[in-house]
Amino acid sequence: MSNIPDITVQNLGKTYEVPQREPGLGAAIKSLVSRTTRDVEAVKNISFDVAPGEIVGFLGPNGAGKTTTLKMLSGLLHPTAGEISVIGHTPYARHKDFLNRITLVMGQRNQLMWDIPVADSFERNRAIYRISHDEYKKTLDELSTLLDLSDLLSKPVRNLSLGERMKCEIAAALLHRPQVLFLDEPTIGLDVTMQRRIRAFLGEYNRRHSATVLLTSHYMADVEALCKRVIIIHHGELLFDGDLNALIERFSPHKTIVVDLETERADLSSYGEVITAEGNSVTLRVPKTKTADVTGKLLANLPVIDLTVEDPPIEEVIEQVFSN
Amino acid sequence: MYYLKLIWTFFRIGILNEMAYRVNFYVQLLQSLLNLGTAIAGLAIVFSHTDTLGGWQAVDILALLGVFMFVGGVIGMVINPSMSQLMDDVLRGLFDYTLTKPCDAQFLASISQIRIWRLTDILLGAGVLIAALIYRGLDIGPREALAFAFVLCTGGSIIYSFWLMLATLTFWFLRIENILHIFQSMYEAGRWPIGIYPHWLRYILTFLVPVAFAITVPAEALSGRLTPESMVTSSLLCAILIAFSRWFWKRGLKNYSGASA
Repeated sequence: MSNIPDITVQNLGKTYEVPQREPGLGAAIKSLVSRTTRDVEAVKNISFDVAPGEIVGFLGPNGAGKTTTLKMLSGLLHPTAGEISVIGHTPYARHKDFLNRITLVMGQRNQLMWDIPVADSFERNRAIYRISHDEYKKTLDELSTLLDLSDLLSKPVRNLSLGERMKCEIAAALLHRPQVLFLDEPTIGLDVTMQRRIRAFLGEYNRRHSATVLLTSHYMADVEALCKRVIIIHHGELLFDGDLNALIERFSPHKTIVVDLETERADLSSYGEVITAEGNSVTLRVPKTKTADVTGKLLANLPVIDLTVEDPPIEEVIEQVFSN
Repeated sequence: MYYLKLIWTFFRIGILNEMAYRVNFYVQLLQSLLNLGTAIAGLAIVFSHTDTLGGWQAVDILALLGVFMFVGGVIGMVINPSMSQLMDDVLRGLFDYTLTKPCDAQFLASISQIRIWRLTDILLGAGVLIAALIYRGLDIGPREALAFAFVLCTGGSIIYSFWLMLATLTFWFLRIENILHIFQSMYEAGRWPIGIYPHWLRYILTFLVPVAFAITVPAEALSGRLTPESMVTSSLLCAILIAFSRWFWKRGLKNYSGASA
């Protein structure tokens, strides 16, 4: 791994001009003649680097500017401020060398053709990316094994389930062995098993090919499984960039203590905030700094069978981040 | 070579796509034959009252009909479906995938959809053309044939560039497929030599909606009435429109990547 980052983003900004009109027929007719617009700052002054081979989770609520950033990184949108460099290229110049080495997968938009077998859609990409037959066969074999595609390739896309289609979409996007992967919610709408499958594949693909991955997802399980590092944006601004663990450390001032007692219905509200109390098991939320203290007291004063201290679930932490 | 290979790949995919709906082939064939039948019946009725129409004899107009069907077939096979697809892709955000491909986006967009059953129109058009020539006693020399091929190419390019410019508007206005319908009906006027139309309509069909260059001018080449002026105008307009539509396309792309969400 070299020290030069694959992705460098400096003071990136994107302002959209959005047509604006009042509701109603009159306003609609008026807008045919004269359009009023207002500026919307989708991304404000964002900077970060991504090293080769790194998987970074790109998080934020809907409308935070994730997709806009991903589109600027893949060369689809011109930034209105700042600099981007991806594998040594300015994305929006859309240099062929750049486009040959990146890929974009959007979970909500399909590029495979509906009526023809998957393999024929792949063939189109093979031709566009000028992949030699040998190379193509090797890559397809590998992807087929990793994603279990062999039964799907001869089926028309319209006969595939959503999960099967997504597997094929991802394979289609990787046929040219891109070095940088931009994945915009690749697991959206999939069932838990299929999500896990795709996740495992992405992890394995990254290990095998040292591909750099920037991934957005609303499923924290994706992020926890794949990304050591997360970048969080909210209202277009960068809120956090760092280790997933550090995120929990920094944004969650609480720990969760689960105590199993010998007796039922003990009132533990004097020890901390009781979240749940079911039978002999009580879950408490306590300030992080008091964790050791409370644990000691619980063990000393009560007939404890079992006690565990946990970080709160990542969803909760993220919610915490956005509510600040 | 790369581009030829790509065209072949898309052509193959076009065949595969249409094979999914085979009945379509027979419907299309029937439609093409019906169109041909009514067109010839129309010619027969007109020429039962007169010997020439705007200086054109029946057989020359038959050749013109051949060109009309041939060019219409090309438009219906590649240009119209691809441009409609482009508008649809821009509307639904799928055009992003075209832009992330390491290939010229205009090229990819222009061949993205191939409705290969429209080959029936192309073949029937060529057949009508050849029949008309045979009927006339194959009296065209290599010069006429070359001139015909040349103005057919420039005329085709003019139509393509024109269509591309209309489709490019989608980058600003999103929903404009109605424009293509207008063009389609204007194209119908091309089944007669444009010389028979009143002056103002002739002007529109020549420069505003350049149907004349794609149909009448090539047919003129076959019947030996092509003037050097027509040929020069056709080449010039072709060059200008290709350059302009390319420039316009790039402007459109810039707008797309500047504003789309």
